[in-house]
Amino acid sequence: MTMARQVRMTVNGAACEGLAEPRTTLADFLRGELELTGTHVGCEHGVCGVCTVLLDGRAIRSCLMLAVQADGADVTTVEGLAEPDGKLHPIQEAFVEEHGLQCGYCTPGFLMAICELLESNPSPSDEEIKDVLGGQICRCTGYQSILRSVHSAAAKLGGGRSATGA
Amino acid sequence: MAVEIPTELEDLPTSKPHWIGREVKRVEDPSLVTGRTEFIDDVVLPRMLHCAILRSPFAHARISKIDTREAEALPGVLAVVTGEDALRWSYPAVTAPEGWGTHCIATDKARYVGEPVAAVAATSRYVAEDAIELITVDYEPLQAVADPFEAMKEGSPLVIEEKGSNVMLQRTFTWGDVDEAFAAADHVFSEKFRWNRVGANPTETFGAICEWDPMDLNLTVRGSIQSASNFGLGRVATFGLPSNRVNIISYAHGGSFGGKGGTRGTDVACLLSRKAGGRPVKWIEDRMEYLTAGGSQAWDRHYEASIAVRADGVVTGLRVKLVNDIGATGEGFGAINTAKPLAAFTGPYTIAVAQYDLTLTASNKLPESPCRGMGPPPHFFVLEQMMDIAARALDVDPAEFRRRNFIRADQFPYTIPSGNEYDSGSYEEVLDKALELAGYAELRRQQAEALEQGRLLGIGVASAIEPGVFDLNVYSVVGMQGTGVPEGATVSIDILGMVTVRVGFTLEGQGQYTLVSQIIADYFGVEMDSVRIAPLDTRSAPPSFGPGGSRLGVAITGAVLGACERIREKMAIVTAGLMQTEPANIELMDGRFRVKGVPGAEMTVAEVAGTMLARSDLLPPGIDPRPEATHVWTAPGRAPVDEEGRTKSYLTAAQAVHVVLVEIDRETGQVEILKYCLCDDCGTRLNPATVEGQTDGSVVQGIGAALLEEYAYDDEAQPLSTTFMEYLLPTINDVPLIEKVAVVTPSPFAPLGAKGCGEGAMHTTPAAVMCAVNDALAQLGTRATEVPAAPHRVWKLIREANEKPQGA
Repeated sequence: MTMARQVRMTVNGAACEGLAEPRTTLADFLRGELELTGTHVGCEHGVCGVCTVLLDGRAIRSCLMLAVQADGADVTTVEGLAEPDGKLHPIQEAFVEEHGLQCGYCTPGFLMAICELLESNPSPSDEEIKDVLGGQICRCTGYQSILRSVHSAAAKLGGGRSATGA
Repeated sequence: MAVEIPTELEDLPTSKPHWIGREVKRVEDPSLVTGRTEFIDDVVLPRMLHCAILRSPFAHARISKIDTREAEALPGVLAVVTGEDALRWSYPAVTAPEGWGTHCIATDKARYVGEPVAAVAATSRYVAEDAIELITVDYEPLQAVADPFEAMKEGSPLVIEEKGSNVMLQRTFTWGDVDEAFAAADHVFSEKFRWNRVGANPTETFGAICEWDPMDLNLTVRGSIQSASNFGLGRVATFGLPSNRVNIISYAHGGSFGGKGGTRGTDVACLLSRKAGGRPVKWIEDRMEYLTAGGSQAWDRHYEASIAVRADGVVTGLRVKLVNDIGATGEGFGAINTAKPLAAFTGPYTIAVAQYDLTLTASNKLPESPCRGMGPPPHFFVLEQMMDIAARALDVDPAEFRRRNFIRADQFPYTIPSGNEYDSGSYEEVLDKALELAGYAELRRQQAEALEQGRLLGIGVASAIEPGVFDLNVYSVVGMQGTGVPEGATVSIDILGMVTVRVGFTLEGQGQYTLVSQIIADYFGVEMDSVRIAPLDTRSAPPSFGPGGSRLGVAITGAVLGACERIREKMAIVTAGLMQTEPANIELMDGRFRVKGVPGAEMTVAEVAGTMLARSDLLPPGIDPRPEATHVWTAPGRAPVDEEGRTKSYLTAAQAVHVVLVEIDRETGQVEILKYCLCDDCGTRLNPATVEGQTDGSVVQGIGAALLEEYAYDDEAQPLSTTFMEYLLPTINDVPLIEKVAVVTPSPFAPLGAKGCGEGAMHTTPAAVMCAVNDALAQLGTRATEVPAAPHRVWKLIREANEKPQGA
């Protein structure tokens, strides 16, 4: 066991700091130290994508990164998507409308991966969506409604609105 | 007071349903998509400790010594438990079959890889994991048994010595004169099949927070628990506590599919809490724990099947011999997976006689658990391959062959040889619609054309039954007891007309809160938004089983409607008093209690509720003033099994036909699904979007089972599928577009005519995909009899077929 150190990062636009041992994963730091429990953990070995967050705009698996590696980074989690008054982000709206979720456990990871996708490719084809979401596992929906949700979200975001709301 | 539960939409007190039967947005979703829904690992309690479990690396080994001193000395460690604590403070697990349980921590020997040997409670999971590395265990490895046929041999190592044998159960069920049917048959076809272990794998593993109150002797377990009341009874038995001293608080769970399990880890955490003076102890199963030692594995099966067929293509008899390796103990209730096929043994067909020769064996593998579909999916895989073997031999198209054997629409309700009654169905119509959707004739043309180009295409046409609304009665054949599975709901209308429904289950993904809101909204003429669902703990909730066995949608509909009916009767009496008429003259329609034939003489539901709660002076004397009622629903007409295991078990029988087009890569053995079409009939679709979601998800789980997923073990019972790199779940790249169409034949017996549909396509998809694979392989003169049809298996079949001399 080594000494915990101070880690600072911007999370969902707010400056945050907390203590992390060198071995603490980013997922555990976000969930435990920062109490942002919207990011879930599914396999802790980098396959399922449930723990996906945005780090400096890129979708990463927070179970495979250490908190200390994210020191100084700009992180977006699912808590950063909806407006403070509860208005859902267009990608979230699309998921609700298209029944893109059932148990909802993998959903935050999907949403973050889709944020990155639509940021770089505002109107992706099925193949482009599958290329990105091939790294996210959902055990409930059979992916059919998720595919529809992405197309619907892309349409909602049409007109140049940024997927991350930036 | 007897209550009539409406079986038709027309029976509802609404001139037109606004919510039921519509594709409504789910009330669960805003909280889920924002990450606000609380799952068990999000819960932090004051003074909470974290548990890590040390697990056996051996499949079978005597434990001669455990040294925990170093772990106990590590700063941050509050408690360490071993088998000694389990012996001192708990009983062996309750099991099916009975008497095949062990303690939650190995007490003398480890019986499978991953069995708990010791555990630590510490101030963080990280410290707890450090501590278990400091525990030293002296193991004496024993010979392990990993194969059921070895396990049954004289002299095989015994998994539980006291039992004197590894055979957990051997029983033959005979329904009708099977010998006569086979003797009289024009053709008899036989084949062996192997279904390898697969499992549920929800994206959230199991987790629990256990709190042992040493003063009041209360045990509180919060967790990702599918059936809270049953889970509570298990803890009552394990710890020998009075049943009102165990309270289970179920949290939203990230999927289950029957595979939440988690009882061992829960019991270990309970022991730790007790040893740590009652501090709450959180145990969150990690994925490797789930895969090797969780409620993850099911259906390790070896089959021999025969069918008797008349020259005209009518199947007259079915024999199935199943040897199922249940694993080290019966604690996961995996055995009930082998009883459920009795509810649909002969599938959608009129096969008149049948026999089921069932053997359950113990091995040094993980104890088996339930899994979506609960056992019929491998059975239907076998039955549907046998149907195709017969059709091919008789040179009859597989769709036509099924049509000849279907139960006809005018034969319902239909009792199958194994005793269950199917409520209703329109099997030919379902077949026709599926074939039409798929463009079946065109697919056959494509297949022939592809063959000329040297491509290997196969078309599967398969049909199966989804037994809905399970009953415990049929599970008595493997040692469970009971008839009827109660589900309760308490509906309360407050002084301002807002409605709260208290239930005994929580979110699992099927949209049940939405369904409850739809029913209330249509019944009382309110907005869905006026309804709130309150999930209660087992100490407060009405009797409840929760989700499982494709039951909850139907069961909670019955419970909520029953409670609504009771409120309606009470409110009619109140309204009659106010209107100075008889209750018989009062009717509820579109949210208003009105005097029949007197326009304008009416009160809204909210007005009646407000009167009941705030104007006692206006109420009839002696009336219960609560605008509230509880109803506990259970399927009508159930009875215990007879001597051959026969009974009316599942209330409804949904049916489906799937048509699948696959292509097999001759070079790699890879199977690609080119087209997937289905037609299903699950009666009234209360929320069509939810039904479709269940169908889509279960098709994909079925594809996983047919082509990808397998818990492999080596000869020493070492698990080989311990991460998602080896246990392959379908990704978005593995699934085709699923084209769907529906037939609606309402159940005459179930609330609002809805049939259970939660397990859905899992019953049909593996069969259909394998029928397609075998349709392709038949062109090479070979057949895949082992699931999953992974590339290495298919490639080997192709190579062997190519090596066979032509015409052989």
